[in-house]
Amino acid sequence: MAEFWTSYLWPLLVVIGQSLLLLVLLLITIAYILLADRKIWAAVQIRRGPNVVGPWGLLQSFADLLKFVFKEPMIPSGANKGVFLLAPLVSCVLALAAWAVIPVNAGWVIADINVGVLYILAVSSLSVYGIIMAGWSSNSKYPFLAALRSAAQMVSYEVSIGFVIICVLLCVGSLNLTAVVEAQNTKWGLLGWYWLPLFPVFVIFYVSALAETNRPPFDLVEAESELVAGFMVEYASTPYLLFMLGEYVAITTMCAMGAILFLGGWLPPVPYAPFTWVPGIIWFMLKGFFMFFLFAMAKAIVPRYRYDQLMRLGWKVFLPLSLVMVVLVAGVLQFAGLAPQ
Amino acid sequence: MIKLIVDGKEIEVPPEYTLMQACEAAGAEIPRFCYHERLSIAGNCRMCLVEVKGTPKPVASCAWGVRDCRPGPKGEPPEISTRSPMVKKAREGVMEFLLINHPLDCPICDQGGECDLQDQAMGYGADTSRFAENKRAVEDKYLGVLVKTSMNRCIQCTRCVRFASEICGVPEMGLTGRGEDVEITTYLESALTSELQGNLVDICPVGALTSKPYAFAARPWELGKTQSIDVMDAVGSAIRVDTRGREVMRILPRVNEAVNEEWISDKTRHIVDGLRTQRLDRPYVRENGKLRAATWSEAFAAIAAKLKDVKGERIGAIAGDLAAVEDMFALQDLMTRLGSANLATETTHAFDPSLGRASYIFNPTIAGIEQADALLIIGCNPRKEAAVLNARIRKRWRTGQMKIAVIGDHAELTYKYDYLGAGVDTLSELAAGKQSFADVLKGAKNPIVLVGAGVTARSDGAALLAMAAKLATDIGAIKDGWNGFAVLHSAASSVGALDIGFVPGEGGLTAAQMVGEGALDVMFSLGADEIKLPADAFVVYIGTHGDRGAHRADVILPGAAYTEKSGIYVNTEGRVQIAGRAAFPPGEAREDWAIIRALSDALGATLPYDSLVALRKALTEKVPHLLRIDQIEPADPAALAALARRGGGAIGKAPLLSPIGDFYLTNPIARASAVMAECSRVASGQILTAAE
Amino acid sequence: MRVTAAARSLLLTEFVSAFFLAMRYFFKAKPTINYPFEKNPISPRFRGEHALRRYPNGEERCIACKLCEAVCPAQAITIEAGPRRNDGTRRTVRYDIDMVKCIYCGLCQEACPVDAIVEGPNFEFATETREELYYDKAKLLANGDRWERELAKSIELDAPYR
Repeated sequence: MAEFWTSYLWPLLVVIGQSLLLLVLLLITIAYILLADRKIWAAVQIRRGPNVVGPWGLLQSFADLLKFVFKEPMIPSGANKGVFLLAPLVSCVLALAAWAVIPVNAGWVIADINVGVLYILAVSSLSVYGIIMAGWSSNSKYPFLAALRSAAQMVSYEVSIGFVIICVLLCVGSLNLTAVVEAQNTKWGLLGWYWLPLFPVFVIFYVSALAETNRPPFDLVEAESELVAGFMVEYASTPYLLFMLGEYVAITTMCAMGAILFLGGWLPPVPYAPFTWVPGIIWFMLKGFFMFFLFAMAKAIVPRYRYDQLMRLGWKVFLPLSLVMVVLVAGVLQFAGLAPQ
Repeated sequence: MIKLIVDGKEIEVPPEYTLMQACEAAGAEIPRFCYHERLSIAGNCRMCLVEVKGTPKPVASCAWGVRDCRPGPKGEPPEISTRSPMVKKAREGVMEFLLINHPLDCPICDQGGECDLQDQAMGYGADTSRFAENKRAVEDKYLGVLVKTSMNRCIQCTRCVRFASEICGVPEMGLTGRGEDVEITTYLESALTSELQGNLVDICPVGALTSKPYAFAARPWELGKTQSIDVMDAVGSAIRVDTRGREVMRILPRVNEAVNEEWISDKTRHIVDGLRTQRLDRPYVRENGKLRAATWSEAFAAIAAKLKDVKGERIGAIAGDLAAVEDMFALQDLMTRLGSANLATETTHAFDPSLGRASYIFNPTIAGIEQADALLIIGCNPRKEAAVLNARIRKRWRTGQMKIAVIGDHAELTYKYDYLGAGVDTLSELAAGKQSFADVLKGAKNPIVLVGAGVTARSDGAALLAMAAKLATDIGAIKDGWNGFAVLHSAASSVGALDIGFVPGEGGLTAAQMVGEGALDVMFSLGADEIKLPADAFVVYIGTHGDRGAHRADVILPGAAYTEKSGIYVNTEGRVQIAGRAAFPPGEAREDWAIIRALSDALGATLPYDSLVALRKALTEKVPHLLRIDQIEPADPAALAALARRGGGAIGKAPLLSPIGDFYLTNPIARASAVMAECSRVASGQILTAAE
Repeated sequence: MRVTAAARSLLLTEFVSAFFLAMRYFFKAKPTINYPFEKNPISPRFRGEHALRRYPNGEERCIACKLCEAVCPAQAITIEAGPRRNDGTRRTVRYDIDMVKCIYCGLCQEACPVDAIVEGPNFEFATETREELYYDKAKLLANGDRWERELAKSIELDAPYR
């Protein structure tokens, strides 16, 4: 019994506790990231953005949450009810699940597994199912077409993201995300992080991440004003909220991945005091937010791509480019003798 | 013919033309206020100034004959300019003078939007006034219940004065004072006594005389305009029904030279409020002595239940004064299918259409009065029975070329006539040549014998009619190119009913017989309100107003008034005219023919037409001349010889008095109208008219 | 050339310059005002909520000439006129404006010969039900009474330019 307690139940409770904590913090972060998204966007357009609910509009996201929850959930009469309701759950839960392997500080990770990167790739590939399910079960042509469009887009960019990650992994020599961060811990500080040596790869990652998370300028899945929210046309109330939540969780995941893969995770930019006194979680959050700021600015300054341009970029530019980068990085590492053992 | 050059265009006009007529013949438009085609020339507004070459001043074209124009020095034709700068300046000056004392209160003026002064001011008015002094103020005058005055607006064109004395024949208006103090007045502040006074409003070129019942009701641009035909009397005046939304707002005359020129009677014009009040807007069924609101199917079921075992000869139908030909035709068709020959109207029992059309129409035609040189009026008060026709008689009389004599009421007819007497014996004496007027008639080229309702409404009307026909034949009123036998009907439905044979069939009962005790079991009344319906029959009333007929009815089926349906009416001349639909019947009320069609279905005797077009097709197949709208089917005068030969029955000794007691209250619509009621009270002296 | 172009696009030079441009705007002073608490000044010609004015002695100005009804391009105005009971002058029996149809073009106040119908400075008249936006004569006269000071002022200010 004692053995069961110490080796199974207690770790389980700890994991559940950790997960709940992460979940709550993540959701609160997302609430403010959403607000930040709108504020940044507004600021670029010389507006104030939401500023009525709470001081400086800080409670806006919670008001939106309440609004969504209290709205009438509507299920089209022709929809496949089960799948229709399952779809938002799938997309939201899968997005959240990715956070299980993300280290926010040294050792601060729920599951410090050796295949963290593969896990992230797997889970984020699965999230396309949520969209397909939503599009199909709505039993309506617009969501269906939008779902196909979205699936094609996500699959395309996942390929280049995969190669981008391979480039990083070649440098690190491990699939463990903690190891990825540790590998960037050099005496040159931020100059030793992978964004600089792997700069083209970082650019590809950034653009692909935008496409992967359906963010502008690649938001032609939703395209609120033209395509009336794509595959989510038939959704309202809480199910719709779950989709939006899933989307923003995916965005935070991508920002966290960017921070870990290229910006040195929780490492301080200058590896000396007083920077080293600041807790790693703060650095991690700052880097994550920097990534998000780039995301938000892209939304504010870049016009939307046409669908054929999007596909061309994915398959005819990024795929060959990232392949070349894989070969290039591998070659340089091999012949310069820099390859990790 | 005189040759003229108007604005560089050479024309030839008859020498009696005025300059204005000549200019219009040349296509030039001349503004005018005082001039009116049907009134005498006054020449006092000076708006119609034109330039005549060689004259030092512009001349008033309305009062200047083409004869008076001097030819040029080399004998070239006189040159007239209607558009020269001098003319424009002169007219602008006139306009400025007219506007000096005009209040410019167009926003609150009912004439606004259809005002001659407003229109001309657009062309010749200045944008500001140089007149800094006070405008004059004139007290408003009382002209009765129909015409509202706002004398500040008056421009002293005197059209109203001329209209009252020349057309109406009531010289009750005049112009007093000089210069700035000049005023239009009725002298005694008493109501006008004419039946045509409503036309004063149309005559007035500004907003000084406006319609009192229509005061502030609507603007001309809000109104939908429908051309229609009046049914208040048998003249069939051409009218324009103005509607706003679903509501009839006013009725105006249309020009029809052959019938009403451009006048209509006050009853025609001001009946409008009667179309809204006392309307039957849903079916009623009498249960336990009381009328109960019912649905159409309930009402039809009640009729069908009653008719189930009633024999054809115990069913009858009477058509009222305002029925359209289509409605009567459908009812006639239905009665035939029910096996009944008991058909009648309220007013046509004296006539027998089988003799021929000439025996019951106004053969000389209304326009023909202007060729007549002798007129014998028998049992008729044309002023009350057909006010517009009376104006035509007066128009002819004013030329001094027609002598008039009357047998019947010794009434004020607005013209002088020889009063021969009221009795039937006077007529016999005349026929025997013992009256001096007999010689006038015999010596006349185009004599007319006018037989009115005072003759035909009597129970011995047929015999009297035959007597009149004989008289007409004897004095030579019927000859080639002239038929002087004129029947003036009192109801709009009469000639139409006779044309389609809506009369008692073989063995059928007349109206008088039908309303007798125990004559009928079921009676259909198509708006018959002037006749006393039988107390013991089951009365089905198809009509528009809660009037006498509806009170007696056992089942009421709400119908459409004449403004609410398209219908054919035949006027007393036999002129076929079509009335347009201006509005819709209120509530659940329907067009009468449609009611009869639906009822026929419920009675199992379905009529074979589902639309008005199909009904008209069936109608015109039977009576082809009803197809020829606005025309008079030529009537064979042989009918009159037959009528005269037939004679007919004993003749009573009662005087030949017109049955129309009160001009303003002759039909259910008029009786529902508050304006008509007030007119009637004023006319009969029940309320004081002076504005004290 | 193609290499430079490729390098430019790979290094996102355009994105970067757009980014800095956006950042310049990012820190600009915001022209947004805190609306319900702050308001922009409005022109005397501002065309807001309608009102029917009265003369200083309390007599209603409208004389039911129906010019506003005639000129209204949206046909939002319905007027029924009739003689007033006590003195027989021309007055409206009904004066309705369908504020939902109205396009706030101001032609009604241009057409009015007596400055009776005006579009006032008030633009905050949202309602909870559609019916409340069907203004009748009483509502319009009440508006006139409420806004008379502002209305008179704006007409006075605008008068020199008419």
